[in-house]
Amino acid sequence: MPLSCHSAIHEFSESTDFTVALAGNPNVGKSSVFNSLTGMGVDTANYPGKTVEVNMATTTLNGTTIGIIDLPGTYALGAVSEDQWVARQGVLDGNPDVVVMVIDATKLARNLYMVIQFLELGYPMVIALNVYDVVQRQGRHIDIKALSKHLGVPIVPTVANRGEGLDELMEMATAVARERQKPSPQGLVYGKDIELEIAALTNEIASRDLEEPYGLPHRALAMLLLEDDAEFIEITSELPGWQPVLEKAAGLRQIIEMEHGQPCSSRVAAERHALAGMIASEVETIVAAERLSLGERLWHYTTNPVTGIPILLLTLATIFMLLFFVGETLATAMSQFWTTFIEPPISAALFGLFGENAFSLTLLWAAKGVEAALTVGIPYVLVFYLILAVLEDTGYLNSIAFLTDSVMHRFGLHGRAIIPIVAGAGCNVPAIIGTRVLTTQRERLLAGILIVLVPCSARTAVIFGAVAFYAGWQYALLLYGILLVLWVLVGLSLNKIMPGKSTGLVMEMFPFRRPHLKTILRKTWFRFKAFLYLAVPILIVGSVILGALYNTGWLWELTKPMAPIVEGWMGLPAVAGLTLIMGILRKELALQLLVTLAIVEYGSQAQDNLLLLMTKEQLFVFALVTAIYIPCAATIAALGRELGWIRSLSIMTFTIILAVLVGGLVNQLITL
Amino acid sequence: MITAAVEEYLEAIYKLSQDDGPVIAARLAEYMEVSAPTVADMLRRLKDGGLASASRKKGVVLTPEGERIAEKLVRRHRLWERFLTDVLGFDWDQVHEEACKLEHAISDQVEEKLAHMLGDPDTCPHGHPIPGTKGARERMKADRLLSELCVGDEAIIERVVEEEPKLLQYLASLGLLPEAHVSVKEIAPFRGPLLVQVAGAQYALGQEVASKIIVRNN
Repeated sequence: MPLSCHSAIHEFSESTDFTVALAGNPNVGKSSVFNSLTGMGVDTANYPGKTVEVNMATTTLNGTTIGIIDLPGTYALGAVSEDQWVARQGVLDGNPDVVVMVIDATKLARNLYMVIQFLELGYPMVIALNVYDVVQRQGRHIDIKALSKHLGVPIVPTVANRGEGLDELMEMATAVARERQKPSPQGLVYGKDIELEIAALTNEIASRDLEEPYGLPHRALAMLLLEDDAEFIEITSELPGWQPVLEKAAGLRQIIEMEHGQPCSSRVAAERHALAGMIASEVETIVAAERLSLGERLWHYTTNPVTGIPILLLTLATIFMLLFFVGETLATAMSQFWTTFIEPPISAALFGLFGENAFSLTLLWAAKGVEAALTVGIPYVLVFYLILAVLEDTGYLNSIAFLTDSVMHRFGLHGRAIIPIVAGAGCNVPAIIGTRVLTTQRERLLAGILIVLVPCSARTAVIFGAVAFYAGWQYALLLYGILLVLWVLVGLSLNKIMPGKSTGLVMEMFPFRRPHLKTILRKTWFRFKAFLYLAVPILIVGSVILGALYNTGWLWELTKPMAPIVEGWMGLPAVAGLTLIMGILRKELALQLLVTLAIVEYGSQAQDNLLLLMTKEQLFVFALVTAIYIPCAATIAALGRELGWIRSLSIMTFTIILAVLVGGLVNQLITL
Repeated sequence: MITAAVEEYLEAIYKLSQDDGPVIAARLAEYMEVSAPTVADMLRRLKDGGLASASRKKGVVLTPEGERIAEKLVRRHRLWERFLTDVLGFDWDQVHEEACKLEHAISDQVEEKLAHMLGDPDTCPHGHPIPGTKGARERMKADRLLSELCVGDEAIIERVVEEEPKLLQYLASLGLLPEAHVSVKEIAPFRGPLLVQVAGAQYALGQEVASKIIVRNN
């Protein structure tokens, strides 16, 4: 079919006996269903230019291979937001044999909205009525039979995180898929006037011999056009014979708009909500009075400003401490393990094979790249991802976003940006990947710059190792003060300068839930894997290049053009320029190298050898510049992937200029 | 003497005071597409004529006389829009400018006959209430922005400001639609977002989103 441009999903659905599309609102337990049904072999597909992904996996049931397309969680299908668009396109391209719609039984009316949309599209469907246990605990009863009759599809009550009802769900789904049994809803009828317009347009489409995009029913196409769906209006306008239909649709839209005094798309949405609400109220009865659960009461404390802000500060401090102490301990252990057990045999083998020369030394740098990945990646990134998954799974992340929204707004961001920014203090790389939670390119760019300016653990090591150790903790504190002021200034002014404005926060809030270990570990693993794939190759290649430059002595040549800036403007010795280049690989390498050079130059007799090389003031400027200038290689790679190379390059340029400017100014102030 | 320019300003102040907080001179300048000094000049004229007052705290406020004139103009404007769409068959996105010219030209008698001929409609083609009709006045007085509500308040969504169709549709898919019942559960500090409950689900809405939702009392 010419319209199905997304080959990955299409091919996937062709390669299995049955295809099941898993759909549902966000936070309904859809991923629990997906995780229970599938193993670790998950593929993700991206539509060009979209960040929302579609997951695909296969499973076997009684000898048949079933492909599962996990659509992003959305509140509706449409073209108004990226997730809604991807969810709809995923269904259209995958053309599933059955749609398994997971709905939150505690919010029946809202969830039925998208169910009705799917019914209109005419896909065979099975509904998983999830968290059914909570509904019962809340003292409510849902008449499943009546609901099933209304919607004309089978319904299976489930408690997905405990795996209850999932076998039955899959059996039902395969039975429906085998028959390609279309839904037979009863009484899914809108208000009379709207129905008249829908019927008029449906007949108009039916009366002509037209190609139906994605083979959709005439009524579904009529509704999409009445809803003023930009995507479908464009698709049909390019097909032969649709022009008169589109004109008729425009006319009908105007009639509805005139009669109701609101845009036609809102009118249709209102009708659909009304219908969903009606069905819900018909099948739902309250048996006993609702009691607030412990989760709900705790949750209330986290959103109430009086108790919520102290809890938030405590949580952020805990995250920071965990990253710092647990991460640090792990990193030291890893590093020691590496230098004791791994590095000696590798260097012995390399020197044995090639002799001790520039070539073997360069290859040894590749091993250093792996070491970098181990000592940064596993300790800081893994710990952070674990914390993030817990925050997400319990629902506390939403409370944080709620409380910090107004502060983040001054930086042109919204509440959801706080987490990646805090994460930046551990490691910038996962923080940059974490900016995906932001919706617009502007927000992601702003967050990207702000994250890069958060000193990560490697830069903290430089600040502590150079400034706190040699000059005293007051100076380290002063340095952090400068960085903080700079950070706020950059954030505020970028928000002013950059065209566009911040989008408003619209986010569903839900009470705390008990975190689910399997979900948390799985999420952590997937993210960590993504980090490894991204960072490790860059670190190794970067190491080899730097190693070659270093061992051939060309690095010294590179520092020569930098001399006027490094020596003249910032007042640092020429070797500092060299170490700054090395620091691009890993920030703390800048300091390590400086110490090594000092030992080479002045011997290792005193621990003060660094002070022989540089004064306290110079160390201060050096650490400051290291904290600001160009992010490390892995961060650059993450920026390039998430924001594109042009933006990544401009962030790099910006930070270099900022570092030179600030470093120089501080130096000039000191020498005054 | 009340010129068409004065009338335009009264109308603008009237409309702005209905959507969004206090009317400050800068917003008025933006709305009228003129410079700040021009607005300052006009505000002095309005003040001298006893049609409006301006203070730092409350912004520009119409006097009862100013409001009477503005309301009449808005009424005429919206009646003309009705006439242009319902009788002459214009599209509803084409009628605003024509109505702007026509509203200044008619007498009370023409206004009355026009309203009568159209069947005394309650709203303009865009869905805004026509002042002077039954119930419209009370309803407009009761209208507030969702962002102005306090914790514990309950209200019904009246309409959503129609400048961002995508936001409108997104909110619609969540059930934040006209006639939906909302209650404010919590408000984050420092003009942070509102936590509102709509049909069993709770949403955090940023201030700028909440200030685009117009509600009326329950």
